[in-house]
This record gives sequence, structure tokens and C-alpha cells, in this order.
Amino acid sequence: MSDDILKQFDPVFYPKSIAVVGASADAMKAGSYWVQTLVSAGYRGPIYPVGSRGGSIAGLEIYRNIRDIPGEVDYVIVAIPSRSVLDLLDDCAAKSVRAVQFFTAGFSELDTESGRSLEERMVEKARWGGFRIIGPNCIGVYCPEHRVSFLMGAIGEPGCVGFVSQSGGIAGKLATNGMARGIGYSKGVSFGNGIDLDASDFLEYLAADPQTRVIGAYLEGTRDGRRLFNTMREVSSVKPLVVWKGGRTEVGARAARSHTGSLASSPSVWSAVLKQAGAVEVHGLDELTDTLLLFQHAEHWQGARVGVIGGLADGGGGISVSAGDACTEIGLEVPPLSDQTDRALRELLGEVGSILGNPVDVSQAQFRGFPALFQAIETVAGDASIDFVLIQQDVDILLPMYSRAGLETINDFFIELRGRLGKPLVMVLPPGPVEQERLRLEQKLLAASIPVLSSVERAARAIFNVNTYFRRREIEAGQRDAA
Amino acid sequence: MKTQKVLTEVESKELLAKDGIPVVEARLARNKKEAIAIAREIGFPVVLKIVSPDVVHKTDSGGVRLGLANATRVGRAYSEILSSVRQAYPGARIQGVSVQQMVPPGVEVIVGMSKDVQFGPVLMFGLGGILVEVLKDVSFRIAPVSKRDAGEMIREIKGYPVLDGYRGQEPASVTALEDLIVRVSEFVEKNPQIEELDLNPVFAYPDRAVAVDARIIL
Repeated sequence: MSDDILKQFDPVFYPKSIAVVGASADAMKAGSYWVQTLVSAGYRGPIYPVGSRGGSIAGLEIYRNIRDIPGEVDYVIVAIPSRSVLDLLDDCAAKSVRAVQFFTAGFSELDTESGRSLEERMVEKARWGGFRIIGPNCIGVYCPEHRVSFLMGAIGEPGCVGFVSQSGGIAGKLATNGMARGIGYSKGVSFGNGIDLDASDFLEYLAADPQTRVIGAYLEGTRDGRRLFNTMREVSSVKPLVVWKGGRTEVGARAARSHTGSLASSPSVWSAVLKQAGAVEVHGLDELTDTLLLFQHAEHWQGARVGVIGGLADGGGGISVSAGDACTEIGLEVPPLSDQTDRALRELLGEVGSILGNPVDVSQAQFRGFPALFQAIETVAGDASIDFVLIQQDVDILLPMYSRAGLETINDFFIELRGRLGKPLVMVLPPGPVEQERLRLEQKLLAASIPVLSSVERAARAIFNVNTYFRRREIEAGQRDAA
Repeated sequence: MKTQKVLTEVESKELLAKDGIPVVEARLARNKKEAIAIAREIGFPVVLKIVSPDVVHKTDSGGVRLGLANATRVGRAYSEILSSVRQAYPGARIQGVSVQQMVPPGVEVIVGMSKDVQFGPVLMFGLGGILVEVLKDVSFRIAPVSKRDAGEMIREIKGYPVLDGYRGQEPASVTALEDLIVRVSEFVEKNPQIEELDLNPVFAYPDRAVAVDARIIL
């Protein structure tokens, strides 16, 4: 079963050759953009531009018809007006292509009878021609490992996170945010109106794909809610599935209808469906990427007890207090630390100006040197009553105090600690006036598998999401064992 | 637009009872004499409710009388119900009144089903009265609902502590409610022609739960 589906999607995510229909010598045409995107991504297979006027683009000959291409064609990207697509699909069938992606829009999302009936005829032609359709109204496939991308420029590192997105814009944002935040993608897809392959198909594939360990989704609606529900339930029983449902409000739903032709269900029904399916529901791009980032670094359920270190130097008091609130309000535990930890911290930091419970403010270590600071952090992190360590590091405070070299030493310590800690370490690096230095540290920590988030509130929410998923899966596993 | 058919309480409860969903049995009386005879069979006190496909708000139109302790009161209530409903809903088709046992008060909850355009039958659970109407404190799951789903639906609502025993009221049986929700889920799956279903209220007791009123729309 899973081998079948992998084989079936091979031409979609690992095409051996790609034709781009709608290319012209004019670089401003949409088809030309797709040719250049594939070239800039470093796609290694043959790229065949197709356009009625011929000529060449990016050093590649433009064929007048897809039938004229000398070699085999796996995957076709279509960027021509919707009125010409039926003829094109006949050509695709004649050429025995395997998958056709339509960048072209102007179908059911226009809410017209002709838009809907055109889609029906496209699906008929695909069935008859033995190929699959992605879209229409979408930007298609992203597979950094195979150097296929929908983005011009940087392509990003391959990784273990897969995504499906009904929207091309959100798919692009997921890819670029991933590049900036150290999220590595196995593959992603924007499927637009999803007239043939839709969310359920891609989710089934990602569940079977050995490269994918975590799955994110942006959905606006579905043509087959039952199937989507059943698929999501199966998928989330094997891999974490994080879903952002767009169009939750009446205004959003109206926009979704003209965006991807999606029908509206009430937001409470969607939330119920996601919960029932065992998926993690998130409410925006930030929460989606935060949660995917954390899943990428936390392979197993770690428990909900958080040790919070709110300040490494000045200003840690209020941050510790509010971090405790943020974690507790969302449903995480911030338990008191052991008596032993308490005694050790008292000795290391002294009582004046410190908060020695949990959250812990270790800022008094600034008067006692790095050994005291590191030992205090390690004591808290190692306490057996916590499962996660959440640390806020204010680069703008630390930089003038310790200089760049000191910052390096501190973060080298975190990386070394992470290596032997045996529990996840989550770092909060709030944006501030020394942005360049902060971004540099973020990349350094991410490279060492320490997820970095921009606020304690966001970190707490993401930790909670990860926990909710693993806890549920553990309960289900327990129930299966008991049965 | 498809025309809807609203089943009366008597018809709705008959269908539900056949599938093992606990309801307070309601029997149709076409006249005063029948009402009294049924009341004697069921045992006093009884409740009388108007039976008409055209009357949506039975209580508001004076169509419901509770705690009728003897035959005289049943007879009088019958006439009063008919005259006040005729006033509130002139021209309403009236089949008679339903006679049912006056059950002891329990924690009032509602269980419902409506159809979603994308997901099909969706079950709803909530506490009765103001908590549903004003605070929208309800939970949803799509059918088929497992026992665990039902348990989550019940515990998910903010008002859950009310079921746990509130101000000396006895706690309601979560198990009985889970069972009822699962049976309703099976019922709507088996009968896809049902567009909407309302069990409102359901009385939940320490050992059981029973639908006091019911409405099915085809």
C-alpha cells in the first residue's frame, strides 16, 4: 500500500523531466518565470519550455507543442489561459505525461457554471490520459532534495517537515519562513482548487513518505470532508499533523470561496473535526511554523513540565514572572524545583535579586562569572522534575555586558549542554536593537538543534501543541494495548 | 430548496425509542377522554404537550402543562392547551396532545445533530437553557462518534462542572450521556434522510439519561 502510493507520487515530487507550457522569449510571461525558477533551483533533469511562438529562454529551446519534445516528459507546469487547457490536456495524454500542474487560474473559484464544468472535463481527460492533475490555481511542488521549487532564488535545505497548502502564497511563506528559521522540508505542495489530487491525497503520501516525519497543512475547505477526516485521523496516528484552517470567520470564508472555491463550515465544526482526527490545530502562520519547528526537534513526547529560566543577566525578574504566567495559562506545568536544586542555586547566586523557584532568574550570576552562571543553568536544566527547558536570552542586554566573545561562550555552553541534557532546550531570542547579532545566534543555535522562538508566549504555545499531540498518541497507544 | 418535514414529538420519540435511545414515551391523545385514559395508564402526575407540525415553540404558546396530578386536571389542561395554541397559532394543524410521565428534575442537557456541507452529520452537546442559547457553550463532533469522542464532547464544555454536581444537585452520569450520544450518532448514520435532530432537554441523572423532548426534521 505505502509502496504503491510512493510510486504513484514519484513523478510529482521526483520528476525526471519537466515541461513548462506558456513559456516565451519574453521573460515577463508567467511560463518564463517557471522556467527561470527551475533553473535557479538547480533542477538537474531536462527542462522543456513550450510556447506557441518558439524561440529560446535561459538558453533552452522553446518547443511549439508538448508533442514536439524529443524526450519523455514526467511533469508539466501549465501557465496558459484557462480557455486553452483542454486541448493541452489532449497533447499531454498523447505525450504520456504523468502529472500536470496548473498555475493557470480562472475555474471554480470564479463561482461560475463554466468554471466548474471546465474542471470536470479536465478531470475526465486526466483519467482517460492516465495522468494526475495538481491544482488548478496553484504553484505546485516544492522538493529541495530533488531541487524542484516554486520560488525564485534560494531553495533551502532538505529536512523532515512536509506540508500541504491550498494557497500558493501560504506555501511560499512556509518555505521562506522555514529557510529563515531552520525548518528543513522534505517536500511541500500547493494544490489550489484540488480538482484531482487534493489535501487527502497529499497527506496520505506524506504519511507514507520516509523522508517526512512531521506534517503541516494550510486548508481552506474540502470537497470530501469525510475522506479528509479519515485521512487526517490515519495520518496523525503515525506522524504529527499540524493544521491551520483559513477562512474561519465569515469574511475569511467569503474570501476562501473566491480564492479556492471552498465551501464554508462553521469554525467550531472544523475545530471539532481536527481534534477528533488527532491533529493539532493552529491559528496562523507564526503558530504553524513555531509548532513545526518544535516538532522537528522533539521526536517524542517529553511531558508538560517546563523549567523556565527568565533572565541570564539584568531584567530577568519581570520576564521570569510573565514567562511563568504564559506557560501556566496555556496549560503547561511550571513545577517547583527540588530542595537540592534550591540549595545549590542559593549557594551559587545568593538570595538577593534572584528568583530561585521556577521560573528562575539567574541574573545575579553576572557578579560571579560564567562558571556560576553555567552551573546554575545546568542545575535547573538537570532537575528531574522538569521535562523541557525554556530559556530567554536577551541579546541586547547581554551584548554590552559580555561583548560578542562572551555571547559566543554563553551560546557554546548552551549547545554543549543540549548535547548531553537528554531533554529539549527551547530558546527565546526576542527581537531588539541588535538584530544582526541576534539573527547570527539564532542560526548558530538552530544548527545545533536548539529551536529558537521570538517570545515566551509563542514558545509556550508551541510546546503545548507538541505536548498535546504526543500525549494524545500515548493515550491511544495505551488504549490499544489495553484492548 | 428541499422542503423540510418536521416530525412531531410523538413520531420523533417513537423512532428514537425503536433504536434504543432512552426517551420519555409520549402518547398521542386525540381528545380529552383519550388524554385522561392514557394518563391513568401511565400514572399521575403527567405532562401534556400540544402535538402540531406547525407549532415550533410549544411552551411559549401555552402548549405545555406540567405536573398534572389527576384526571380532572388533565381534562382541564387539555382544553386550555387547545384554546391557547389556537390563539397563538391561528390555523395550525393540531393532531391533539401528547401525554407523558412527569419525570423528576435532572441536570438539563441537549444533544443535537445538524448537517454540515463538508462533513455531513455533526453531533452537538451542551447544557440546556441559557448556557446553550447565550453562551454557546457547546461541543461538536462529526459522526460516527466513538465513546471516547463522546466523553471528550461532554468534558470539553465550560459548564462541565455542573454535571459533576452543583449546589447539592446530584451528579449526572457521564457514562449514560456518552452512551446516549453514541446511540444518537449510530441512529443518524443509519437514517441519512434525517437533516436535523434535537433532544432538548435531556435529563441526566446519577444513573441514567433520558430525552424529555425530541424533534426530528427530515
